[in-house]
Amino acid sequence: MSRLSAAMLLAVPAIAIGGLLAYVRSPHVTNQAHPVEQPIEFDHRHHAGDEQIDCRYCHWTVEKSPSAGIPSTTVCMSCHAQVWNKSPYLTEVRKAFFADQPIPWVRVHNLPDFVYFNHSIHVGKGVGCATCHGRVDQMGAIEQAAPLTMSWCLDCHRDPKPNLRPAEFITSMTWAPPADKAEAAALADKLYQEYDVHSRTSCSTCHR
Amino acid sequence: MNTKPDSAPAQDTPSSFALPVVSGRNEATSAAHDHDHDDVVTEALAHASTRAVPAEGAYGKTYWLGLEEKLATPAFLEETRPEFPVGADLPPTGFARREFMQILGASLALAGATACSTRPQDERLVPYTKTPPEVAPGNPLHYASGMTFAGHTSGLLITAREGRPIKVEGNPQHPINQGAAGTFEQAFLLSLYDPQRARVLRQGNNPRSLRVLAEDVSSLVRTKAAGDGGARLRFLSEPINSPLLGDLRARIQRKLPSARFHSYAPVDQAADEAHRALFGQPTHALYDLTRADVIVSLDSDFLESRPANLALARQFADRRDPKNGELNRLYVAEHRMSITGGMADHRLRVKSQEVFGLAAALAQAVGGPAASLGASASGKAGALRPEVASWVQAVAQDLKSKAGRSVVLAGERQPAAVHALAQAINAALGNLGATVKVVPAAAPEASGLAEVRALVEDIKAGRVDTLVITAFNPLYTLPVDAGLAEVLDPKLNANRKALSVLYAGHYEDETSKYADWFVPLAHQLETWSDGRAVDGTVSIAQPLIQPLFNGVPEAELYALFLDEPYRPAYQMLREYWTAQGGEAGRADFETRWETWVSEGVVPGSLAQALTASPDLGAASTLVGAYQPPAAGDLELNFVTDYKLFDGRFANNAWLQELPDPITKITWDNAAILSPATAKRLGLENGHVAELEYGGRKLQVPVTILPGNADDTVTVNLGYGRTGLHEVVAKDVGFNANLLRSVNAPWFDGGAKLTKVRGSHTFSRTQYHWRMEGRPLALDMSVSELAHPSKKTEHILERVQGELVLGKQNNLTDFDYAKTPQEGYKWGMSIDLSRCTGCNACVVACQAENNIPVVGKEQVGRGREMHWLRIDRYFEGSENDPTMVMQPVACVHCEKAPCEYVCPVNATVHSDEGLNDMVYNRCVGTRYCSNNCPYKVRRFNYLHYTQGKTSTEKMLMNPDVTVRNRGVMEKCTYCVQRIERVRINARVEKRLIQEKELQTACQQTCPTQAIAFGSLADPAQRVTQLHEDERAYRLLHELGTRPRTAHLIRLRNPNPALVAAAPAEAGTTHEGGH
Repeated sequence: MSRLSAAMLLAVPAIAIGGLLAYVRSPHVTNQAHPVEQPIEFDHRHHAGDEQIDCRYCHWTVEKSPSAGIPSTTVCMSCHAQVWNKSPYLTEVRKAFFADQPIPWVRVHNLPDFVYFNHSIHVGKGVGCATCHGRVDQMGAIEQAAPLTMSWCLDCHRDPKPNLRPAEFITSMTWAPPADKAEAAALADKLYQEYDVHSRTSCSTCHR
Repeated sequence: MNTKPDSAPAQDTPSSFALPVVSGRNEATSAAHDHDHDDVVTEALAHASTRAVPAEGAYGKTYWLGLEEKLATPAFLEETRPEFPVGADLPPTGFARREFMQILGASLALAGATACSTRPQDERLVPYTKTPPEVAPGNPLHYASGMTFAGHTSGLLITAREGRPIKVEGNPQHPINQGAAGTFEQAFLLSLYDPQRARVLRQGNNPRSLRVLAEDVSSLVRTKAAGDGGARLRFLSEPINSPLLGDLRARIQRKLPSARFHSYAPVDQAADEAHRALFGQPTHALYDLTRADVIVSLDSDFLESRPANLALARQFADRRDPKNGELNRLYVAEHRMSITGGMADHRLRVKSQEVFGLAAALAQAVGGPAASLGASASGKAGALRPEVASWVQAVAQDLKSKAGRSVVLAGERQPAAVHALAQAINAALGNLGATVKVVPAAAPEASGLAEVRALVEDIKAGRVDTLVITAFNPLYTLPVDAGLAEVLDPKLNANRKALSVLYAGHYEDETSKYADWFVPLAHQLETWSDGRAVDGTVSIAQPLIQPLFNGVPEAELYALFLDEPYRPAYQMLREYWTAQGGEAGRADFETRWETWVSEGVVPGSLAQALTASPDLGAASTLVGAYQPPAAGDLELNFVTDYKLFDGRFANNAWLQELPDPITKITWDNAAILSPATAKRLGLENGHVAELEYGGRKLQVPVTILPGNADDTVTVNLGYGRTGLHEVVAKDVGFNANLLRSVNAPWFDGGAKLTKVRGSHTFSRTQYHWRMEGRPLALDMSVSELAHPSKKTEHILERVQGELVLGKQNNLTDFDYAKTPQEGYKWGMSIDLSRCTGCNACVVACQAENNIPVVGKEQVGRGREMHWLRIDRYFEGSENDPTMVMQPVACVHCEKAPCEYVCPVNATVHSDEGLNDMVYNRCVGTRYCSNNCPYKVRRFNYLHYTQGKTSTEKMLMNPDVTVRNRGVMEKCTYCVQRIERVRINARVEKRLIQEKELQTACQQTCPTQAIAFGSLADPAQRVTQLHEDERAYRLLHELGTRPRTAHLIRLRNPNPALVAAAPAEAGTTHEGGH
C-alpha cells in the first residue's frame, strides 16, 4: 500500500507535468489544424490551386516588408470587376469596396507581440511559403499548418538547410527537394552558399 | 536543454560567478583588513560612511553630484547608505496614486497583452480598401515637416507607420537642424496624441460648428469693412514667421485697413529691439562658431536657448575636438549654472544686473570704436567688483588677440543696451561679417511687451470691440501686471461686454476661460503650413495625419477674416507659393512644389547677409536709455524652462518627467539659490520660503544649486498651470509669472526670501543610480592631456590600462568579428567634450523605445524608466564648481555582470556583442540590476503602460515590445534599428553601411557626441573614436569590457586666468578636505 502511494506520489506529478507539457505543444493550444471561418468565404483552393495565381499577386509586400500583407479590397476587385462581377459570393466584397470599408479578416497566424517575424528576409533567403504555411492550395478555409512555437522556429534557425529551395520555386505549393538524399543535400549546400544564409539564434533576432 | 545561444560567448566558466573585487579606497586599507573576511559588510558600511569626501585619492579630483554629497551632510549619508535609492529594493506595491492617475492621461504607453501567453482568439486583420501607392504595410515612411514655435520653424523628418507618425527627427537637409532635433521638437509628437487637447469649438459654453463661426466672422468683417475699416478689431499672435500667414495678414489689412496686429514673443524681445536700432531694420544676428576661436557669452545660454541653438551647438562642439585643430575657448558670465555655463572654460558668476557693467568694461578694454560707448556705459554701471574687473581684462586680452576670429553673444534676458554693447564689441573686433552675420529677421514685426501694453491701453480706452488671440495662452505667460487679465475678466472689467474675444489654442487653458469664442487649433502635424527659420530658410510643413480632434488650421482661421469662400490650408499654401514664382515659375511649379514638400526646405530661401555696420549712435541711445534695475540685496531672475519653455509644453509628460539638465528636478520648479545665499538666508533644500517682490508674495520651494551667483534667486517659468483640462500640467510647480512685472520681465533687484513653515519634496534624479563616488566622468585641460602629470598618468592607467588575465579579467575572451566581412561588432562612443547635456537623446530614446512615464511619486522612489540618463557632475568648490555632463546607458559589457546572475537566462549576449534583454523570459528577480555596476537597468514596478486610449496607442513604435509589469528593461543599442537595417542589407546582399544605421540618441544629438557602429570596421567613426587617446571605459578596472567608450572632456583654459585662480581655489578646498 505504502509502496503504491509512494509510486503515486511520484507518478501523479510526473504525469501531470508531462501531460501539461504535451498539452501546451498540442495542436489544440498552438491553434493548428483549425480552419478559421472568415467574414467572406474566400477559397485559396480555387485561387492558389486551380487558377495557379502566384502568392505574391495578392501578398505583394512579402519580399520587401516584415509583413506579407493582407490584400486590399482593390486587389480583389482588380479581377472581380471583370470576372464573377455579379456573383452573390462577392456581394460583401463589392459592398466593402464601394463603401470604402475594410473587410475585417480573422487573423490565423498570430505570433505573440514580443516576437518580430520578418517575411522579406525568409523569402529572400530561400524559405518557401509552403514551408511554414503548408499546402494553402488545399485549404478551403485557411488554417495554421505549423505549430509556430519557439522551438519550431529554432529548429530551422539552427539548421536551415533542409528548408531551403531555389528562388524560382519560392511560392510553389508543390516543390519538393530531390528524393535522392545526397542530391538534396548537395542542393541545400549550394543554396546555402548562393543565398548567403546566416540564420541567427541570438535573442534579439526575434525579440526586441 | 541548453537554451543559451550556441554562439554566445562563454559565460559558464565557474570563476565567472564572482566579479573581481576592486578595493574601493586604497590598497593599504584592504590589505590591512585582508584577514577579516567575515566582516566585509561592516567594512563596506564603514567605507560608505567615511566617504565624506567622495573622491578616490588616485583621481586627484573631487567629482560630486550635489551639495549634500560634497558636504556629506548626515541626511545624505542616511539616505544613501544603501546602494539603491529608497524604494528600489521594495516589492512592487501600491497602485492608483493620484499622480499616477493624472499622467494616465497623456503619456503612458500601449496596453498590449504582450508578455501574456494567451492569444486573442478573434484578432482582426484590417486591410486598406485601396493601399496608398507609397505604403508597404510594415515598413516605415519618412516625411519632411516642421515645427513652428516662438517665431522659428524647425525642419523635421517624421517617421510614420501605416499613416501614424511615431517619431520626430531633425531634417538632415535643413541648415539649422542638420538632422538634429531638440527636446521640444521630439516631444511635439506626444502633444499630437494628447487626449486632453481641446476638441470643441464653442461660443460661451455652447458648441458651435465652424460654419457658424465663419458666418459670424464674415458678418463682422462686412460691417467693419463698410464702417470704420476694422479700427476696433485687434489681433494678438505669436511672431508671424510664416510667409503664408504673413500674406493672409497683409490681405486682411487691405480689407480692413484700420485693424491692428500685435504680436508677442516670450523671448528675444531685447535682441530684436537692439538689432532694429543698430541696423535700421528688423534683423537677426547669426553666429558662425566654426570660425570663432574665442567665444564670450554675456549671460547667453546659446547652446540651449531657442531658436538657433541646434546649429550653434554643432558648430561649438566641432571646435571642442582636438582632432579638428585648436580648441575654441568659451567664457561665460552668468547668474545661474546653465548648460552653456557648464561647457565654459572660464565661468564667472555675476548677478544679471552686473552683466551690463561687465559688457561696458569689456567694450572699453577691447577699445577701438567700442571704447567710447563702453566708457559712457561704464559711467552708468558704476564700479565693478575687483574679480570681475580682472576677469574682463583677461577676456579682453584674449579677444583682442583673436580679432576677427572671436564672437561676443548677449543673452536673451539682457536689456537691449547689453546687446548693443555686444555688437559694438563684435564690430570693433572685426567680427561682423566674419563670425557674426546680420540677416533680415524671419518675423519682422515688433513683438515685445510694449505691443501687449499698447493693446491693453486700447482696450481700456474702449477702442477695441473684437480681439482675436492666437498667441499661446497670454493670460498665463504674461507678467502679472501686464493688465490683459484685468480687461478680459468680466469680474474686473465692467465694460467687458463691449469686448468680444476669440481665442484659438490647442488646450482649454487659462486664457480660454475668458474667451467668448474658443477655437481648437489643429496641431502642426495635422495641417499644411510653412515657416521661416532664423536664417530665413523656409520649410513647407506637411501634415502626417488627419486632425484627430477637429482642430482648425491657423491659416483657415485667419482666412475667415477675408470673408472669402472657404479654401483649405493646402490650397491657400499652394496658391501663395505659386504666386511667389511669378509667371515664369508657374510652368514648372508642380515639380518644384513636389521637391519642396519632399525635402522640407525651399531652396534659395536662405536669407542674404546684410553688409551694414552697426549704428553706434543708436547704440549709445540704447545705452543712454538703459535703466539699471532696482538695487536691493536679492536679485530675482526669471528664466524660461529647459523643459516647458514658457509653459507651452507643460501638458507634455515626456518633458515633465525629463530631469532638468542642471538641477535634475522632475515634475517641479523651484527657487534656486547659491549655497552661500541659502546659508545666509537660513534655507535648505526642500524648505518652503515666501518670495516677495514688488509687493507680491508667493510661496516657493527652495533648492540649492552650486554655481549660481550669490544673492540671486532664479525661478523657472512655465509651471503652476491652472488650465481647465490640462491634467498633466495642473498644479505642477508654482507660477512665477505671478511675481513678474512688465517693467523688469527677466530680472530685478529687491526681492525678499523668508523661510516659512512647511517643506517640499522634490523628485530629483540627482542621486538615483549613483556610482558610489567613483569618479567616472573625466575632464582635464588640453595641456594636461598632452603632458600628463603623475596624477593624470595614474588616472589614465586606471581607466585605460591593460587588463591582466586572472586579476581583473578572469573570463576568456569571446571571438568577435575582426573584419567587416566576418560580421559586426557593435559599439558606441560618447564624447564628453561635445556633450552639453541638453537631454535631446533622452527624449529620442523615450520616443523610440516606448518608454513609459511614471509620474512624480514614482520618480521620487527612484523608478524613472529612462534607459539613457545624463549624469551631471560638479567638480571643485561648492560655490563655484565646474560641470561635466555624462550620458550613461547600458554600456553592453562584453563580460556583463548582469548576465550570469539571471536565473532564467533573460539577459544574454549576442554574437555581435549586444547584451540582449529578453522580456518574455524575464521573471523580475532584479538580480541583474543588483549586479550591474553601471545601474542602467530599469524595472517596471507597476503596469505603467496600461489604460491607454486608442489615440495614445497610435504613438507607440510597433518595432519595440511594450513591456509589462514586472519586467526588467534597458538600452538595447536600438536593436530594432539594427535588425531592420540588417534585413534590408541582407535582402540586397550587401553589408550594412555606416550611414544607414544610427541609434535614436545618436541620430538626434545636436553636437554629434554619440557615435555608433561596428568596431570590426576600422573605417567607421566609432572605431576611430574607440582608439582615440581620450577614450576610456567606465569602471574599466572591473574588467567588464564595456562596448561604449567615453571620451575625456577637454578644457581649454586661458593661462592668464589659471595663474590667478589657485589662490582662491586653494582656500575653498581647505574646508572640503
